[in-house]
Amino acid sequence: MPTIETRYLALLEAAPDAMVLVNPDGKIVLVNHQAEKQFGYRREHLLGQRVTLIIPQGFDERLVADGTRTAAEALAQQIGMGIELSGRRSDASTFPIEIMLSPVQSAEGILVTAAIRDITARKEAEKHLAQMEARYRGLLEAAPDAMVVVNQGGQIVLLNVQAEKQFGYQRDELLGQAVTTLIPTGFAERLRADGTRTAAEALAQQIGTGIELCARRKDGSEFPIEIMLSPLQSDEGMLVTAAIRNITERKEAERHLAQMESRYRGLLEAAPDAMLLMNTDGVIVLMNLQAEKQFGYRKDELSGQPLRTIIPEVWTIIADVKQRIAGALRSAGNSRAQEIGAGLEFTGQRKNGSELPIEVTLSILQTTEGLLVTVAIRDITQRKKAEARLLQTVQELNRSNEELGQFAYIASHDLQEPLRMVASYTQLLSKRYKGKLDADADEFIAFAVDGANRMQLLIQDLLAYSRIGTKGEDLLDTSAEKALDSALINLGGAIEHSGAQVTHDPLPRVFADERQLIQLFQNLIGNAIKYQGSTVPHVHVSSARNTEKQWVFSVRDDGIGIEPKYFEKIFGMFQRLHKREEFAGTGIGLAICKKIVERHGGNICVESQLGHGSTFRFALAEGNAN
Amino acid sequence: MTVVGLGGAPIDVLLVEDSPGDVRLTQEALHEANRAIHLHVAFDGVEAMAFLAREGAHTAAPRPDLILLDLNLPRMDGREVLAKIKASDSLKTIPTIILTTSEAEADIVKSYQLQANCFLSKPVQLDAFESRVKSINEFWLMKVKLPNHAEGRRI
Repeated sequence: MPTIETRYLALLEAAPDAMVLVNPDGKIVLVNHQAEKQFGYRREHLLGQRVTLIIPQGFDERLVADGTRTAAEALAQQIGMGIELSGRRSDASTFPIEIMLSPVQSAEGILVTAAIRDITARKEAEKHLAQMEARYRGLLEAAPDAMVVVNQGGQIVLLNVQAEKQFGYQRDELLGQAVTTLIPTGFAERLRADGTRTAAEALAQQIGTGIELCARRKDGSEFPIEIMLSPLQSDEGMLVTAAIRNITERKEAERHLAQMESRYRGLLEAAPDAMLLMNTDGVIVLMNLQAEKQFGYRKDELSGQPLRTIIPEVWTIIADVKQRIAGALRSAGNSRAQEIGAGLEFTGQRKNGSELPIEVTLSILQTTEGLLVTVAIRDITQRKKAEARLLQTVQELNRSNEELGQFAYIASHDLQEPLRMVASYTQLLSKRYKGKLDADADEFIAFAVDGANRMQLLIQDLLAYSRIGTKGEDLLDTSAEKALDSALINLGGAIEHSGAQVTHDPLPRVFADERQLIQLFQNLIGNAIKYQGSTVPHVHVSSARNTEKQWVFSVRDDGIGIEPKYFEKIFGMFQRLHKREEFAGTGIGLAICKKIVERHGGNICVESQLGHGSTFRFALAEGNAN
Repeated sequence: MTVVGLGGAPIDVLLVEDSPGDVRLTQEALHEANRAIHLHVAFDGVEAMAFLAREGAHTAAPRPDLILLDLNLPRMDGREVLAKIKASDSLKTIPTIILTTSEAEADIVKSYQLQANCFLSKPVQLDAFESRVKSINEFWLMKVKLPNHAEGRRI
C-alpha cells in the first residue's frame, strides 16, 4: 500500500491542476503543490481545514446528504462534470475555477478528489466572445434582410428575426435544419466542392454577387429572392452567411416595366411610319422595323449613326433642334413628349442611294437616359405623287378652262363676221326682192332672216357670257347703290314701258367689278319686269349681312314665279322656260348672273312659287366701308 | 366704177377693206346714199398706200376725198396705214374714218391716238349699217368743210 500511496502522491503532485482531497466532513485531507500555488496557502495551512476556505460555495454543499439522497448519491450526481465555481485565495481574492470531482474509497470512508482548474483566462475569453456575439447578433438582427448562417453541411446554424418573419418559422424550427427547407435549389449546391474546385473556391466564386433564387415559406408559398453570400471562419469550420432579400416587388416592377416596354415596342413596331429615337446630337439610338424597311438598313447598321445618314439635309434643323428643345422645355410643363417640329418635309436617302420624299415630326422625350428626340418619318411618295397629279390636273383644268373661255370668246367674236354677211345679205335680199319673187321665196327669205337674227343674238350673248371671265375688271370697293342706279338708268325704257315700280333699301359697299355688278342688277331687275304677266311689276331690292362677312342681296318681284323643279335649270346657259312668242330672249341672262356672282366668290339662288313672284338672292364680299 | 354725181363733181372715196362681202355692202349703202360717190377699193394696206402714192397700177388714181379704213387687213394692217397717212403732209388732211367690226377699247384708243378722224363700228343689222353709211355721207361729204385739193397744205 505505501508503495501505491507513494505513486499516487507523485501522480497528484505532477497534475497540472490543483488537486484537493476532501473527507466526508468537508475537511481537506490532502493537497498538491498546484493547490498551494493557486490558493496561496502552504500545505500545512490547508490540511484539516474545511474546503470552504478555498471554495466558499458550491462544493461543500454538493457532498452533503439531504432528505432525498445520501452523500454518496449526491456525489455521484456531480462526478465527471465540470462545475464552475469561484475559488478564494489566501489573500481573499477570488478567481473562476472549474472543478472535476471523483470519489476515492478509503478507510476513512468515501473521500472526494477535486481537480480544480483556474479558468480565469477561459472566462475572459468567453466573456469577450459573448460580447462579440452580442454585437454581431445586434448587427444581424438589425439587418433589413433575412440573414441565415449555414455550415458546410448545409445546415442552418443561425438566423435573424427577419428570416423568421420572411419565412414564417420560429427560430428553433429552423436551427439545425437543412437550408433547402428555405431555399430548395441553388443555394446548397453552390457551397459544394466538385472535381474542379474546393468548397472554399466554390464559395469564393459566389461571394459578393447577387444570386436570384426562389424561396419557400413555411406555408409552402414561394417568392423570389436575391441572396448575397459571405464566408465566415469559425470554430465549426467555414460558415456561410446568406443575406436574403425578398425581391417580389422588384420583380413585379421589372415585369411591369418589361410589359410596358414590350407594349411600347409593340406600338413602335406597329406604327405605320418609320420611328427613330435620336439623342440631341442627332445620333440614332433606337428605331423600328419600318425604319429598317424604309431605308434598307438593318438596326445595327443605323444604331449609333447620325440621322443625316438617312436624311442628308437634316442638318438644316439639327442645328436648331437644341434651340427648339430649349424653347419647348421652357413651356413644357409636365408633358412627357412634346412636339417640336411637325410636317417638316425632307428628302430621305436609302442605303442603296435612292431617294424618297418624307415628312418628319420631331418630339422631345424626357427619359431616364436624358433628353431624346423622337423622329417620326412618313414616306410621302404617294402623297407627293398625288399632289403632283392634282396640281397637274388643276393646271390642265385651268388651262383648258382658259382655252375654253378664250375659245368661246374667239368663236363668238369671229363668227360674228360671216354671220353679219349672212344676216346683211338676207336682209338685203328681203329688202330688194320682197314681193318680186313668189310667196315661197318671201317665206324662205323671212326664215333665213329670222334665223340669222337669232343666231346673232345667241352669239352676242355667248360673247357677253365669255367676256365675264376673260374681260372682267379687278374687284374693287364699290357702291352697290350706285351700281343699282346705273342699272335702273340702263333699264329706263323697259321700266317706263311696263310702268314698273322698282324700290330699294339703302345698299352697302361691296367688293365688285362695278360694270358686272350693274349688269347683274340689270339682268335680275330686267327679268323681274319681263316675267310679269298682266299686272304692273313691283320689284324690291334689299340687302342683309350673313355670318360669313358677306352681303346677301335680294331682288324680289311679284311676277309669274318659277316652279321649284326649274330652280337650278334657269341658271344654265341658253335655258328657257317659255316659248319664244311668250317671252323673247336667248336664255343667257341668269347664266351671266351666275357667272358674275361666282367670279365674285359668291353664289346665287332663287326662291319662288309659281304665280307668287320670285326672289333672287346673291352674296358678295363686304366692301371697305362696312 | 365711175358714178356720175347728181349735178356735181364726182366724189372719190377710198375703201380699204379685205372682205368682198363688206366691200359690196358698203358699196350698196354708199350708192344708196349718194350716187355721186366714186368708190375706189384697196384690198389691203399695201395696195392702199400704193393708191395714195399713185404707184404701180395706180398712177392715174385720184386723191380721195374720204378714206374708209378697216383695221384688220392682210400685209399691212389699218393701224399702220393710218399712221402713214397721218405722217404724210400731203395725205394727213384727207378725212380718214375707221370702219371696222372691232369694238375693242384698245382699238378705239389707238385709232384716235393715230389721229383717225372718227371711229365707227359696223353694225350687225343691215338697216343700222345703211343708216351709218348715210350719216357718213351726210356729215363728211355734205356738211363738213374740207380744204381744197392743195397737196401738202397744212391745216
